[in-house]
Amino acid sequence: MNPMDLVSRLVRSADDEAHEDADVRTDGGTATSERQGSGRGFLASNRNLVESLPFWLPPALLVGLFVYGAIGWNVLISLTDWEGLGSPEYGSLDLSMYAQLLGDDTFIIAFRNTLVLLIAFTVVSLAVGLVVAILVDQRIRFENTFRTVYLLPMSLSFVVTAIFWSWMYNFEIGMINQLLRLAGLDFLTQQWISDPQWKMAAIIFALMWQFSGYCMVVYLAGLRAIPTEQYEAARTDGASTLRMYWRIIVPQLRASTTSAAVVLMVFALKAFDFLYVLFGDTPGPSVDILSVMMFREAFSTTNWAYGSAIATVLFLMALSVIGPYLLTQYRRGDL
Amino acid sequence: MGDVKLENVTKRYEDVTAVDNMNIQIHDGEFVCLVGPSGCGKSTTMEMVAGLTMPTEGTVHIAGREVTNLPPKDRGVAMVFQNIALFPHMDVYDNISFGLRLRNFEKDEIDRRVDKAAEVVQLEGMLDRMPDEMSGGQRQRVAIARAIVRQPDVFLMDEPLANLDAKLRVHMRTELQRLHKDLETTVIYVTHDQAEAMTMSDRIAIIDGGQLQQIDPPLECYNQPANLFVAGFIGSPSMNFVEGEVTENGFTSEYMDVEFDPSNYGVSAGDKVTLGVRPEDIYPAESGRSISSPTGEIRTKTDVIEPMGDEIFIYLLLSEEVETDLEDPAASNQLLISVPPDSDVEEDQDMSVVLDRNKIHLFDTESGQAIEHSLVASPAASGASGTSGAESDD
Repeated sequence: MNPMDLVSRLVRSADDEAHEDADVRTDGGTATSERQGSGRGFLASNRNLVESLPFWLPPALLVGLFVYGAIGWNVLISLTDWEGLGSPEYGSLDLSMYAQLLGDDTFIIAFRNTLVLLIAFTVVSLAVGLVVAILVDQRIRFENTFRTVYLLPMSLSFVVTAIFWSWMYNFEIGMINQLLRLAGLDFLTQQWISDPQWKMAAIIFALMWQFSGYCMVVYLAGLRAIPTEQYEAARTDGASTLRMYWRIIVPQLRASTTSAAVVLMVFALKAFDFLYVLFGDTPGPSVDILSVMMFREAFSTTNWAYGSAIATVLFLMALSVIGPYLLTQYRRGDL
Repeated sequence: MGDVKLENVTKRYEDVTAVDNMNIQIHDGEFVCLVGPSGCGKSTTMEMVAGLTMPTEGTVHIAGREVTNLPPKDRGVAMVFQNIALFPHMDVYDNISFGLRLRNFEKDEIDRRVDKAAEVVQLEGMLDRMPDEMSGGQRQRVAIARAIVRQPDVFLMDEPLANLDAKLRVHMRTELQRLHKDLETTVIYVTHDQAEAMTMSDRIAIIDGGQLQQIDPPLECYNQPANLFVAGFIGSPSMNFVEGEVTENGFTSEYMDVEFDPSNYGVSAGDKVTLGVRPEDIYPAESGRSISSPTGEIRTKTDVIEPMGDEIFIYLLLSEEVETDLEDPAASNQLLISVPPDSDVEEDQDMSVVLDRNKIHLFDTESGQAIEHSLVASPAASGASGTSGAESDD
């Protein structure tokens, strides 16, 4: 809640209290007693409000200022023409930065790459996570060990994993090419993170490695919630294993899929650190994504307003992913 | 033809034997209940018929064909589960038709069969509902329709009514019997509820500890239980048991004696036996004079009285103090009797009772096997209202 709103509400409620006392002393007419009733309810809720104040006000102020305030300020800057070392001028606000975006090929490419990363990374991670979850769900030995092993990459910093992967993808000494050569598959060796043709796939693969364990955990929880009779019913009805999973089990994992997909997509939109560690701020057109472009425009070329406009676009994309999810959760009464 | 034959079927899990050398033969069109306490192996037995579990040893035949190692879909069986197990993301039509669609039936044929099945279980007009929009009873009917529609040789039902409330359960019980009469398909029905087994089945298979104890028509299981377990399991309230010994004059125990001539009943003095008698076969001494062959009077004291409306249950103490042993009811000193609802009884009263000699069972205490189901040598032999067993022993 806006702090000013809060203060004005508090002031109003104090006023109400004074009025109410006066009403009680004068007459007991219908109108007054109605007001009195509603006033008392308001008073009670205000007391709760005041008593709970110390708990929610500090975080509300901090979040309000540093998250929503910053978002608002960023939008404001994107409407100016601020660049270089001067200060922004808030006198003339317009959408010129957004117009510029639409005509900027770099932006179009970065936008497209962001969408490709978003969709491919999410789909691949979900698919791998689902398959691993189904395999781990077969009452195997050392199940907990496997679960931990698959989930472990998630706990590592992207800076660390990006450096690992940059070594592994190295053309000469990287593990992947070395293994391929060992297996006599020299023709498969690639300049994984230099060749524009392979760059995006290499990034998606590395991120999939890091995130599929998370998907596995989410799916495993979903699988465990399905009673064994569902499997038995499908089998007595004549379903093969593949059909049983495809038509009976996977459709029942819709909730798991949605929540994992939202997390993955939001991550994909802000997948900055991994790319920045691998390529710096100029990853080249094949893997240039909006978050890297935003950083480059704002902090390398000091086009502050332009960077802000890209940030706003990213924010709207994130909102369009998470908004519908929150809305359906809210409608179902889960929030 | 839906006959089912289990031959020497055993299922072992590592160090646990869930089913031990089971031999059951079920005829085409028969309704057989597998009944027993939790963990007795009845569900495992059914799963082996269904093909959801493979036996460690032995063979399973369905409709004259060996199916021991066939997958469920190739056995001609359809199953109804305890938790109903409808597919929650499919509507009623899709749930019922799932098995047919997997088998690539023609659309017209599927529609015809689904409509017929829905009609049988009275679900017309509900085919486009989702499972979560239906009541428990309706969902169970969908599950049954899903089984019917496949026209299987054998229906397997694993406690299908256990999750329903008591009233609905009784209603569905009748529905299932009607259904069985109409379809004339073999039904194997697993339940832990002996009342369900008694009312529905052509024959009851009582299972305990992975072993078949008895398989017979309900009344035969009730009147001629093969052993102590069956005698205690079938019937509610349970049969009374008194552990004792055979003497020259009959049966004797710490609390009560029953006279008979051991030589007529294949027992001899010194044998450890358990006497069993059902609550309805014990009479207060005064009304007991009207039965054909009562035993001598047994002096007891009334303890707890439970009026049920249509009858009254009285717990009788055979000695001054209560000595209940929940682990071994036969070792306790209580008798439960049932008397007509208009009987005039009070707690802590002296009361003499007689047992109906026609309905006294004798079991070998050691092995639990039944020795006798009546202490009247031949039905025509008695008729006097005597108090001792001597005259009825010929």
